[in-house]
Amino acid sequence: MGKVRLKYFSRIREIIGKPSELIEIKSKNLQDLIEELQSMGEQYSVLKGENFAVYSAVDQNMVTDVKASIKGATEIAFFPPMTGG
Amino acid sequence: MDNKIIVRVQEPDFDLNLEMEALKLKTKKAGAVVFFVGKVRDLEDDKLQYLEIESFEELAKRQIEEICDNAANTWDLEYILVKHRFGRLKLNDNIVLVITSSKHRENAYEASRHIMEYLKSNVPFWKKEVANNTENWVENS
Repeated sequence: MGKVRLKYFSRIREIIGKPSELIEIKSKNLQDLIEELQSMGEQYSVLKGENFAVYSAVDQNMVTDVKASIKGATEIAFFPPMTGG
Repeated sequence: MDNKIIVRVQEPDFDLNLEMEALKLKTKKAGAVVFFVGKVRDLEDDKLQYLEIESFEELAKRQIEEICDNAANTWDLEYILVKHRFGRLKLNDNIVLVITSSKHRENAYEASRHIMEYLKSNVPFWKKEVANNTENWVENS
């Protein structure tokens, strides 16, 4: 599927231990990608959203359907609930 | 309307007087101007050391622009400005400025509230409070 820039923010960045990484992924949707990342290390299990909700943005568009295709994506971001204002 | 929407995600502070002057140059039809300012508040025990605001800048700007477009289509507005800061802020520092302006006050009031409610939980900013040398990510309120 090619190389994708993964970005992590806030609590997720702290748990995974880096703000971003460029990696080769095989997954065709977010759900598969989260499983694929988990096989790389336990820290990625935060992305399952069991402790707090995890939001995603593919190429800077918010995505709510984890089964939606990520084919051709160049950037995928993961972040916890937002607290602006 | 589009040229009357201004959105910035920025580290520097904003100046309320300058923003008012800028608004006057942009529109002469507005009789009502609503300023909403969100600022850093202290904790219950008065021990806040600082507030760190993290942002996903590009997406934040896009999300705010979307809500401003939505507000412009919903209410009759002359001018909308949103400036949201990120970085390390201390007690009483400004965090966010929302200006809405319309011919009469109702539209400006309602649009201001609508934009702020959306900003609280739909735009990628995250606040971390640091107090007593411990860090705490803020939950939504």
